Order: sequence, then C-alpha cells, then structure tokens
Amino acid sequence: MNEAQTKKRRPVKRWIVLALVAIGIYAAFMGPSILKPVPPTVVLPAEPIWPGVPITNSMAATLITDVLLILLAIGAYRFSKSGELVPSGFYNAFEAIVEFLWNTVEGSTGKWARRIIPVVGTIFLLIFVANMVKMLPGFESIGYLEAPHKTGEAYSIVKLFQIGSLPVYAIDPAGAERIVVDPTHETTEEEHGLCEHCQVIPFLRGPATDLNFTFALAVIAIVMTQVYGVWALGPRYFEKFIPIRRLVKGGAFGAIDFVVGLLELILEFAKILSFSFRLFGNIFAGVLLLSLVGSLLPVLLPPGLYLFEIFFGIIQAYVFFLLATIFMSTALVSHHGDEHGKEQH
Amino acid sequence: MDDPVAFVTGLKVLAAGLAMLGTIGAGLGVGIAAAGGVQAMGRNPDAAPIIQTNMILGMAFAEAVAIYCLAVALIIIFAAG
Repeated sequence: MNEAQTKKRRPVKRWIVLALVAIGIYAAFMGPSILKPVPPTVVLPAEPIWPGVPITNSMAATLITDVLLILLAIGAYRFSKSGELVPSGFYNAFEAIVEFLWNTVEGSTGKWARRIIPVVGTIFLLIFVANMVKMLPGFESIGYLEAPHKTGEAYSIVKLFQIGSLPVYAIDPAGAERIVVDPTHETTEEEHGLCEHCQVIPFLRGPATDLNFTFALAVIAIVMTQVYGVWALGPRYFEKFIPIRRLVKGGAFGAIDFVVGLLELILEFAKILSFSFRLFGNIFAGVLLLSLVGSLLPVLLPPGLYLFEIFFGIIQAYVFFLLATIFMSTALVSHHGDEHGKEQH
Repeated sequence: MDDPVAFVTGLKVLAAGLAMLGTIGAGLGVGIAAAGGVQAMGRNPDAAPIIQTNMILGMAFAEAVAIYCLAVALIIIFAAG
C-alpha cells in the first residue's frame, strides 16, 4: 500500500463501525430481552447435529474445513497449471504460507523435507483452516432446541418466523430458569417434541474444541514419526526403545540404557497426550472466554478478543506443526553415536 | 450443609479454581522464555528467526502445563462424578 492510498480517507467505514457499536449497545442494554446476550452453556463432548444422527457438530465443521481445503488445493493446482509465474492476491498469501512451511521443515530435517512436509504441512493447514472457520458467525449459536439433560440454565423460546414447514425460534434470556434434572430419569421419545425450557444444541462447533479431533491428529503425528524413524534407520530405530545390543554388551550402563529406553517408550505416549491437550485446551479456553466475555460485556471488547483468537489459532497450528517436525527430525537420526555426521543442518 | 448436592457442587468449583493455581508456573515460564528470546534477538538480530522458533517451542512446552491445569479443572467440573 503506497502513500496515496493510505492518505485517502474512508469516512463510510467509520460510520459503519459506529453504527454497529450503537446497534450492539441497543441490543445489549436497551432493546427487548430477546436481543440480549445469552450466557454460555459449557458442553465438553461434541453433540450430534440432529437427535439420533451419528454425526457430531464438530465433525460437520471438520467437513466444512475439508471442503475449503480441497477448494484451496484445486485453486492452487489450477493456478500452477495456468503458467503464470507471479502469483497475485490470494495465491500470493498461500504461496507465502507454503514457502514458510517449507523453509521451517527444510531447516530442521534437510533432505528429508520432501518426504516429511506432506504430513506436517497438511496438519498445519487443517488446524489453521479449522481454527479460522470456527470464528464464522453461526458457529455455536444456530442449532436445534432440546430439553436440557443436565442440571443448568434453560430458556423459554419465542417463535420468530417459519420457513416452509420449519418453524424458527429464538431463545429468550429473560425467561431463564434453572432446571434441575434427575440423572436417573430416562428420556423418552415424546420428550423430543417441543420443549418448554430449552437449550440450543448447535449444528456447528469448532473442530478443535472436540478432543477427538486433536487426539486423532496427535496419533497421526506420532505414528508417522515412528514410520519416518524406521524409514531412515531401518529396524535399528527400535533400539531407541529396547536397546538389547547395549544391554548385552554394556554391563551396568547397558541396564541403565535399557530403563532409559523404556522411558522413551512412555514418552511417546506422553507426546500424544500433550499434543492433543495443548491444542484442545487452547481452542476450548478461547471459545469459553469469547462466549463468557460476550455475555458479560457484549460491546467493544469482543472484537479485540476475536483478534486474539485469530492470533492464537495461527500460533497453535504453528506450534503443532513445529513440534511434529522436530519430533520427526529427532527420529531420523540414531540415538547413540556413530551416525551423528549424517544429520543435515 | 443442608443441601449435600449444592455442597458437593461448591467443593467441585473450588477444586477447579485451585487446580488453575498451576498456571502461575506456566505464566512465569512463558514470561521468562519471552524475555530471554527478546534479549537474545536484541543482541543478535541476525539470528532472530532461529531464536524465534526455539522461543515459541519453549513457550509451547511451558504453556502445556497450564493446559494440563485447564484439562484437570474441566474434568473436575464436568466429568468427575
């Protein structure tokens, strides 16, 4: 952006922002109770997108992420086939991301980068796009109504309008009531009809707020680490975990090495746990913070927090990618002695 | 004390709050990592990319502890009987 463009004033945008803030103040503090922000109900496990359907809302969001990524890939492929050498706009940003990933992977794994980047690069792009998709309006706010299964706040509902045969309701924070649910009570089919005091079960929810998503990615990353280790070193890779040769030859130190090897084996499982809980905890805490602050102080503060969330989405994707890369690069070289010269830096 | 359910719920929330005390250490760790990283970058700006990578790595490990605390707190509130 050059001087002339930055000097050009855009008063229209300023008025749009002010109007939005005014609408926010009206809705939060003065308007009818139906417009007021709703305090969040915190639900840890993902819920089905419709009663009885075996697809959870975080899976639905993951599918949206996948579709976006596939479109991105098709676009990038068509661009590379078109023969233009200078990328513009969107593809410029995409090329910058890919180049950055490539430089990071190449810096720590050397000639193995071509084989490693498909795995870690995919993980980065998936987490990155998933964390960005999560921020779209409609996530965690549009869903179907259900009577609460656990003790907690439930809201009365107000009918807004009807699309075909599908009535659309909004929940009314003024009609909040603390529902105490008997945990031994079995839900029957009739209770899936319209409830009087309802909770919203969202259709879409950020993929990384579901532990299944992050755990699956962590398992993939760690299993692929073992695969690359065996690819680089052959069966000798497993001597890192069970150093039989040193146990036979080394005497007392061999026994210590054996125990250390077992610890390495435990460490691999600890890596899976820390990988999955790091991503899940960060994103879940972010969503919790956004909805809590959004219900307590709905004006002016949430946009800043959204900015913070975007930053954290990128940082967490980068951290997952970087840790996976570094674990893979340490798996590529043998644990003790003889082959340290092979390391590429 | 009259209502045992409310009593247990209150204790659960208290326990979750206490579990989050562990974030003190994580906060210190992240702060120290950032301070060290910035100092190193100030002394040797040419090495900034490498320092930055390792700094973020260290911060991620330190922060993992805070995330464990959060996981424990969430489990106490939502999952523990």
